[in-house]
Amino acid sequence: MTGNETLAPLDNSSGSNAGPLSVSGSKVTDQGVNPRKKFETISLAALLLIAFGLPLVMRSPTYLHIVILIYFYAYLTSSWNMVGGFAGVLPLGHSVFIGVGAYTSTILSLQYGISPWIGMLVGGVLSMGIGVLIGLPTFKMRGAYFALATIAFAEGMRVMVENLDFLGPFNLNGPRGLQIPPLNFGFLNFMFKGKEPYYYIILIMLIGVLVLTWIISRSKLGYYLNAGGEEPEAAMALGVNVARAKLIAMAMSSFLTALAGTFYAQFSLFIHPKSIISLDLSFEIAFIALIGGRGSIAGPLLGALLLRPVSDFSRIYFGDVFPGLHLVIFGVILILVMIYQPRGIQEPLTRAYNRFIDRLSKEEQAKEVS
Amino acid sequence: MDKKIFWKRCMSTLAVTVGLTLTLPGAPLLAADKVVKIGNIIPLSGPSATVGEQGKNAREMAVAEINAAGGIASLGGAKLELVYADSESKPEKGVGEAERLINTEKVNVLTGCWNSSVTYPTTAVAERYGVPFLVPVSVADKITEQGFKNVFRIAAKDSWWTRDQFSFIKDMSAEFNTEIKKLAFVYENGDWGQGIAGNWVKLAKAAGYEVVLNEPYPSTTTDLSPVVQKIKRSRPDVLMMVSNAADAILLTNTLAEYRVRLKALISSGGGHADPSFIQAAGKSARYLFDIVEWETDVNKPGAREANEKYKKQYGQNLTGEAVDAYLAMYIIKDALERAASLDPEKIRQALADTQLSDGPGMIVGYDKVVFDEKGQNKEASLVMVQINDIGNGLERITVWPKSARRVGYTPVFPKP
Amino acid sequence: MLYFIEDTINGILMGSIYGLTALGLTIIFGVLKVINFAHGSLLMVGMYVAYWAVALSGVHPYLALVVVIPVMFLFGYLLQDIVIKPIFKAEKDVREPVTVIIVTTGVWYILDNLSLLFFGPQYRSIQDNPLRGKMFELGEMLISVPKLWGCVTALITAAGVYYFFQYTRLGRAIRATSLDRDAASLAGINQYKIYNIAFGIGTAISGIAAITLIPFYNTFPTVGVSFDIKGFIIVVLGGLGSIGGAIVGGIIVGLIESVGPQFMTATWTEAIVYGLFLLVLFVKPSGLFGEKNDW
Repeated sequence: MTGNETLAPLDNSSGSNAGPLSVSGSKVTDQGVNPRKKFETISLAALLLIAFGLPLVMRSPTYLHIVILIYFYAYLTSSWNMVGGFAGVLPLGHSVFIGVGAYTSTILSLQYGISPWIGMLVGGVLSMGIGVLIGLPTFKMRGAYFALATIAFAEGMRVMVENLDFLGPFNLNGPRGLQIPPLNFGFLNFMFKGKEPYYYIILIMLIGVLVLTWIISRSKLGYYLNAGGEEPEAAMALGVNVARAKLIAMAMSSFLTALAGTFYAQFSLFIHPKSIISLDLSFEIAFIALIGGRGSIAGPLLGALLLRPVSDFSRIYFGDVFPGLHLVIFGVILILVMIYQPRGIQEPLTRAYNRFIDRLSKEEQAKEVS
Repeated sequence: MDKKIFWKRCMSTLAVTVGLTLTLPGAPLLAADKVVKIGNIIPLSGPSATVGEQGKNAREMAVAEINAAGGIASLGGAKLELVYADSESKPEKGVGEAERLINTEKVNVLTGCWNSSVTYPTTAVAERYGVPFLVPVSVADKITEQGFKNVFRIAAKDSWWTRDQFSFIKDMSAEFNTEIKKLAFVYENGDWGQGIAGNWVKLAKAAGYEVVLNEPYPSTTTDLSPVVQKIKRSRPDVLMMVSNAADAILLTNTLAEYRVRLKALISSGGGHADPSFIQAAGKSARYLFDIVEWETDVNKPGAREANEKYKKQYGQNLTGEAVDAYLAMYIIKDALERAASLDPEKIRQALADTQLSDGPGMIVGYDKVVFDEKGQNKEASLVMVQINDIGNGLERITVWPKSARRVGYTPVFPKP
Repeated sequence: MLYFIEDTINGILMGSIYGLTALGLTIIFGVLKVINFAHGSLLMVGMYVAYWAVALSGVHPYLALVVVIPVMFLFGYLLQDIVIKPIFKAEKDVREPVTVIIVTTGVWYILDNLSLLFFGPQYRSIQDNPLRGKMFELGEMLISVPKLWGCVTALITAAGVYYFFQYTRLGRAIRATSLDRDAASLAGINQYKIYNIAFGIGTAISGIAAITLIPFYNTFPTVGVSFDIKGFIIVVLGGLGSIGGAIVGGIIVGLIESVGPQFMTATWTEAIVYGLFLLVLFVKPSGLFGEKNDW
């Protein structure tokens, strides 16, 4: 709470526009059982139940596949959000961390028979190192330069992978990519016949990253990041080490992103530099975050829930008749949301939700009165 | 105190998730007319969109013909229905689309995907679900070497393309009494280019040629003059190339500009076989040899008519890629007739037993379609064409094997 | 040695054309402080306009400038006015207009795929143009005539733009706005109109770059993508916002691409370009010619 005190003026400066991460005290009306709290606890439990029970109802692997990818993108975007959202910069090369995670665990399991679960952690740590390495010099830079530096780094890495068949003893297989033979199914091998295990793994990963985001947003680090993003000079004047906070965020973000890389490799059993370390993927993560609302906890999830189905279904329905139309639709949504909801779709949704809760609590109050 | 904010966001999003998943409609399967669904995963947008478009056109033409002729007789006249999915040339999209076509669209057979990097992981999906997958063209050897039961390929594979290119060099060198010693390899730095170049290096070594240049280049390149200079300075007798469309045009034009003197230029289909290649490269493309599956002047009954029909509908000549897609529909029809069932295993078995030697689809250069135990079409053969102008503008003229050479044409070799 | 000179000349020629393709990007950044991710797509639009103008009329490609420049200026002007301005207004108080970056990316997706829908995926090139395939012989060396034209055009354009910004009323107003938005608007300059004009100028320059490319390059829907990343690298090398820097940055990239392959495979020159780019970013982020440390 002490950190809260010192940074209170900063927080006020962001005014009414403060994102959901803002730490302005919530207007708790102390009146015994808070109806909002009750409602939220119940509905959260219900939703968790539904999320965990979904595969029991949704038998079609296609839809399960789509939902898995939605969670996957929500996870990636939430990881991205730690840097891109809270630290107030725009990284556009996050696919490099996905690549590091995917390649590390795949090479370790293909060449040395090490379980991808271990490879996942190794990849995460490696990726964290790379993240810090990129972050050290680039966080000094402002918006545009930072975005370009991350793009160049990711593209440079892709070119390297495409040109190297071997990196020391490790077989990268150049532009041909790596295929994981679907032979040894089982939990230890991170390889399953059905989709359900993947579903639960990515769901748990997603919940984990959301909880982590929430913890960070309440921690000192969160305040520092938020302050550094909004008013870097003022924050520094107050003795906040913005650069260090950003580096920590970058380290976490690159670590978490690499885990998703391993998940992706094990889920699709094929990795290919052009598609896994690609600008398209890096951009898509940023798009989802911005459309959902960057710097908020729910934004990435909302963005993935909106954009993934839109892009999937528009490709499915228009792909053969009007090739490319789905990407036009994607671009139009992007522009419209940015023009009309520059803070992402989480903002109007949050407002609507608040109105709903207010009405609910009023009704309950009315009931109590009568 | 922020807990609420967090919870409420979790909830609102989960609410959307649930709402969304519940409203996802299962595609209604109207069982009114009996149809056989063929799922086609091809690149309709993105960098290989030209090839995807050709494949789509050819499939549509074949299916229209089959349906007009009464569909599948043994299934009570069931009609073929094409379902397309755009891979954007991306492996992960191909995999996702295969899942969807199999599980939601309930397709009976899959075809695609042209890009070997897409076909490779996508066939694995089909294998897992036991859905027959017919690959018209995707040349990487490994596609039929995964030990899959459900994968069949019509086109010749990588190692046959390169094998035939080397036989061609040997035959031409003997026929025209021209010595060929030094080879240069230039190829796009991708799955396809690397695969072919790897074979070239082995074959060159075995045949005793000297490789003076082995140069990959990025396929998104904007300037190929440095590569062309390297070719020029290494003084090869023969230049062998693997290119996508944009770089094929650029490479061919730049070679002409720098007046690189070569005895022959040999390309590997793909970009060099793209219908816009001749238009865009123009005179620079003259005398180029290209290895393809098929050419418009092939001496087969029905080929000319099919090409004219196609040209009338879509404004382009049929290409090897298009013909394989066209043939694929007839192979599927043939297999369905014999299977007389939509049971995937029966269809698979019928495909495996294919002995197709006649019918409108057989406009390819060889006489029979037979799959070996790996699913590779054993009979697939390739022809070498030369781009030349013999009075009707630039055209592609079959020159090799000698038995298939266009009557009255003498190949220009070495290049003047 | 002769080889080296030949490659160097090609590198300079091709590089100055790269510089020209990046010039619009650097101007738009200089004024709006926004990286226009759609600049490759604007080049693509320019190439289609140029292609159709030349193909339908049969004139010398450079004569098509008469059509291409005004059309592209108008296109850029309206694009900024209709699509990008609203974001600027919404983000007035935000220091770093990252949202605009994302919007320009949306524009990129839309333009590339609309051209796929309208024109199809075919590759188009103008067969009968007087520059096509022309080579100039200098002793044993061969120099591409269309690239020479492109290089001269790039230098003239850069000089013209420089003159415009230094010595004309409008140019100075634009510079004033780029230096201090608030002061400029206090002085009665309409900030958003200036942005429209600057975007129009940047787009028109992409049109000029398109003209230099069509005599020897193909036009197709994704043609801009290859020039996109290259453009970013060039402007950072030269210094974001610097006109001369764009040309010099272009020439550096051109030289690496042209001379490099004599020592390694062409694919590795790509990696070198990225490496150099990162080096400059870390060592001197304002680029070789960056005027101020506005980063």
